[in-house]
Amino acid sequence: MNLARVRGTVVATKPSDKAVQSPALGVEGAKWLLVEDCDQSGKGKGEYLVALDMVGADRGQMVLLTQGSSCRWTTRTDDRPMDTLVVAIVDEIDQQGTTVFAQGNEE
Amino acid sequence: MVLARVKGTVVSTHKPDSMEGLRLLLLEKVDAVTLKGKGDYVVGIDSVGANAGEIVFYVTGSSARMTETTKGKPSDATIIAIVDVIEKDGVLTYEKSAAEGAHEA
Repeated sequence: MNLARVRGTVVATKPSDKAVQSPALGVEGAKWLLVEDCDQSGKGKGEYLVALDMVGADRGQMVLLTQGSSCRWTTRTDDRPMDTLVVAIVDEIDQQGTTVFAQGNEE
Repeated sequence: MVLARVKGTVVSTHKPDSMEGLRLLLLEKVDAVTLKGKGDYVVGIDSVGANAGEIVFYVTGSSARMTETTKGKPSDATIIAIVDVIEKDGVLTYEKSAAEGAHEA
């Protein structure tokens, strides 16, 4: 899983047949986030992806991304064409005993 | 899912029967902030009726076979949505209606 920052949202009204139109993943329930790959301290790398939000992440938060076929291993995304999911919000990262990132504790 | 702009179509007559009727589109990956092309192209199968000039996002890998259009088909890049709006840090970096207006002018 990769670390990323939530930078914004993407709106798309013509999602593919089963992608978001089923009751299990209704259009109103599907939130596409614009996320930027980042390092363990939260610094953005300039690479952006569109990800489906599973946890209610907000702009600026560091999150965990799951990519590839593993994205379909949730009840909401089973058998759906998803390859990038936000699966967790990162609270804190410890690297060799030093806290290199803490959510809401940045400049 | 990766953001890209539809740049054109790809035509192929010699292909497996299972790919018959699939629409192949030429996609250029775009920077999410500037919406400028990165010069990185990929061919994707259309499942939403996307047209040239539109910003879309596509899924890759085995997930590309999960749309009704591509079920059981040998696709590893499928367009699943046409983008209307991109918002970054509270600012709209892309609006489809505005982009179309600019195109006409």
